Amino acid sequence: MEYYVLSRYAYWKYYLLILYYRLAEYPPVVRVWAVFSTISMILLIAIVIGNMVRSVRTAADSYAIAHNREKYWEKIKEVALSVRVWEPLEISALLELPKNFKMHERSHRRYVPMLIDMYRQYGPQMNKINWQRVLQVLKMPIYFEEQVRSRNTRKRIVAFKNVADMDANLKEAVASRYLFTKDRKLQNNARLHAARFGTSYPFKVLLEDPNLVFTDELVVKFHNVLMYRQENGMSMPNFIHWCNRTPLNEELRIFAINEIRLFNRREDCAEMLSMLINSRDERFSCALIKALGAMEYVPAEKEFIRRYLSASYAERQELAEALGAINSGNPEVLHFLEEDFMQTTDYVTRMMLLRVIHDYGKLGLKAYNRLKKESPREFSIYFEHIECDLIDSRKYA
Amino acid sequence: MPEWVYNGFSIFVVVYSTLVISSYIAFAILAFFEHRKHYTYHDDDYTIGELKKSPYTPGVSIVAPAYNEEKTVITNVKSLLSLDYPDFEVVIVNDGSKDKTLELLIENFDLVKVPYAYVEKIKTKPFKGLYKTKSDNPSFKRLTVVDKVNGGTKADASNAGVNVVSNKFFICTDVDCVLDKNALYRMIWPTMASTRRVIAVSATMRMSNGCIVEEGKMVETHPPHDMIPLFQDLEYTRSFLIGKTALSRINAMQNVSGGFGMFDREVVIKAGGYDGDSFAEDMDMVARMIRYMCDSGEEYRVVQIPETCCWTEGPPNFRVLNRQRMRWGRGLFQFFTVHRDMVWNRNYRQYGMLTLPYILIFELTAPVIEFMGYIMVISLLVQWAINWNTIWVAFLGLYIFAQLLTALIISYDVWVGTSFKKRTDYLWFVLASLLEPFYYHPINVFFSLRGYVKQILGTQMVWGNMTRKGVQSAPKQTAPGLAGSTDAASAAASVASVKSAVAETEKKADA
Repeated sequence: MEYYVLSRYAYWKYYLLILYYRLAEYPPVVRVWAVFSTISMILLIAIVIGNMVRSVRTAADSYAIAHNREKYWEKIKEVALSVRVWEPLEISALLELPKNFKMHERSHRRYVPMLIDMYRQYGPQMNKINWQRVLQVLKMPIYFEEQVRSRNTRKRIVAFKNVADMDANLKEAVASRYLFTKDRKLQNNARLHAARFGTSYPFKVLLEDPNLVFTDELVVKFHNVLMYRQENGMSMPNFIHWCNRTPLNEELRIFAINEIRLFNRREDCAEMLSMLINSRDERFSCALIKALGAMEYVPAEKEFIRRYLSASYAERQELAEALGAINSGNPEVLHFLEEDFMQTTDYVTRMMLLRVIHDYGKLGLKAYNRLKKESPREFSIYFEHIECDLIDSRKYA
Repeated sequence: MPEWVYNGFSIFVVVYSTLVISSYIAFAILAFFEHRKHYTYHDDDYTIGELKKSPYTPGVSIVAPAYNEEKTVITNVKSLLSLDYPDFEVVIVNDGSKDKTLELLIENFDLVKVPYAYVEKIKTKPFKGLYKTKSDNPSFKRLTVVDKVNGGTKADASNAGVNVVSNKFFICTDVDCVLDKNALYRMIWPTMASTRRVIAVSATMRMSNGCIVEEGKMVETHPPHDMIPLFQDLEYTRSFLIGKTALSRINAMQNVSGGFGMFDREVVIKAGGYDGDSFAEDMDMVARMIRYMCDSGEEYRVVQIPETCCWTEGPPNFRVLNRQRMRWGRGLFQFFTVHRDMVWNRNYRQYGMLTLPYILIFELTAPVIEFMGYIMVISLLVQWAINWNTIWVAFLGLYIFAQLLTALIISYDVWVGTSFKKRTDYLWFVLASLLEPFYYHPINVFFSLRGYVKQILGTQMVWGNMTRKGVQSAPKQTAPGLAGSTDAASAAASVASVKSAVAETEKKADA
């Protein structure tokens, strides 16, 4: 008896033929349905098996990560937190690594969570030289470089994220090729990397990209990168220059103004005031007003008063808040704030005005009490609300 | 019945079920890509780290209506207050409770009535007052209690909460829900990462019936061991991890659960808030938000995140399940009456052209078709004209497909990382999946049809109370604490005992 070995396509054909002849007696809809359900089940089984394999791999990874942690955590911690500068050979000996230490990609991957955890936990106390040497001994920079150079976009993105998470050292040139790539996630990660570790002018890409989409996520991340640069004594960008250079992207300009406020760059106030005078955009104006108010720039008060009556409610609220923050004791300010309190129809603006008047020093308190007496009865709840210490009236929307 | 009726119906059923299965496969594949993206790029620790140190992190408000919740309110409010997030507030709306809900809140959190300038941005039943704490406890300072006249619906109470929230985003939840400690970080991140305006975020919800909860915090997750909550847990997991995740990928989410969802306050107010007359107020709210965004020509996104952020107590018995399903059935029917103009309407983009037709064809009509199927089978049985071979093939195919779907959700759940404490717990899911087509599904069809009939006849429906059995508490916590205590008197007694113990300690310290 002869046996025929079928090719993989022939197996499929054979199965479908069986299906066909077995189901020949059934109506056509049942036959179509049977074929369809076969295909769909194969698809589902493929996904399930894929997921199961992934779960098994994850479990194996978790086991290996736990093993690495048990073996190296204390030793690496000792080196990283030590004041003395350790030589790479010493570290290698402490970690009991062979002379020509080499790891497979998967093994490298299993060190990453431990190192990230350690950096998150002890980052600020670490001896930076020792930490970089530990990463060097474990060949992390080479691993990340390979990952960033790999064809898989997801690997590149994850590598950039991991580099930032453990403050590893990756050549600037490696990241620079992705600064203008089409994949936005990869592009953003490469840019964040460049901004964090760049030595020349790392924020140039933000200013040169006309298609830049500056989401809130990037706002948070870039601010944290700037904080990192400041903490590490690295060069900081000139934010006011960003505003002048990027008329295309409004979000980035607003971000720059907010950063001026958060980093308290008082030397930029005069230029911000001139920007405010020329500004027509409401959101940009609001950011400028908020920054000038927060930095208590008294010369801006005149412009604030000039703008007030022609401004929208959102801008008025910012103006009132800024005038309150400057608190120069100018009776003219109080006068029009009082007037607007009686005239405005927007309840949030009214509440904000009342709070600003209340907090405007002795003069303000006097005006507040006068308003309380003169206001119609239905306004009494606003006064009670402001006077109540248990309510945070700054958070009223 | 003439033969052509049977033939026509059988062809219709085959086409219909093929379409249903195709849609499930499409959802499974879309969900696979979404889970892969999430699994690769999302890292809770990283997100938390970035948000914690940033001054740009937006504030979040939590709105939780409470009606006659004296059994669980204190534990659950404490649980909400213990969430980890830099800037959040908790707004509890006492919807005219007849029990001691408000009194317990006042007593436990040192609340006093404050003169709050309440503005009714969304119309609700009269506002009675607002309470803030006078205690120095910083976490209590995050609490606001709104007292209002009972509006008869959760929608009315939620609207009152929306009227007082001060942050751009608010989470609407139930006071009995247990939230994950990092839920707020997870919920806010999609709103920041999207290039389009995110108007609502939904997260996976699971049943808390089998879980162990300590002081309102989830300690151990297990599947419910009672059949009805177990079936519902399976149903929820399937819906969130496959259906909603897939629809979120193509920005066609149909609904953000009323039990736990985050919304953009401004859009909610502009869309008119929750509709108190609706039986599916959450779905109706999302539809009106999308309508508002599309009508004003703005880009939007409704996002589903796969991680489990919330555990809620499922219906413990058929009576409560019947009430829930009837309400959902009525709600769905009512929804299509109100928003019929959105179906097949290109102005409403994916929602009008894909989501609503899908729900109309495969969710609203499904119970009717299934019911007709039962009648056909019974009629054929009576005539002894049934083709057993065909029935057997069709049923087995569908049954295996359902089991594969369960295997798929289990694998997704493990992948996402929100799996049960023990892997063997998934056997409960397998058991539920094996029994579901015979036991739970036909009953649900019947309940939904009852809902449709009641809606058509216009029968008045009252929102019944959800019977709470309470969740399991950890053994060591049972004696002094409140978690898991289902009896109000014992809860009050334990509060009193803790207070007296604290007072005694203070006295000793003074001495």
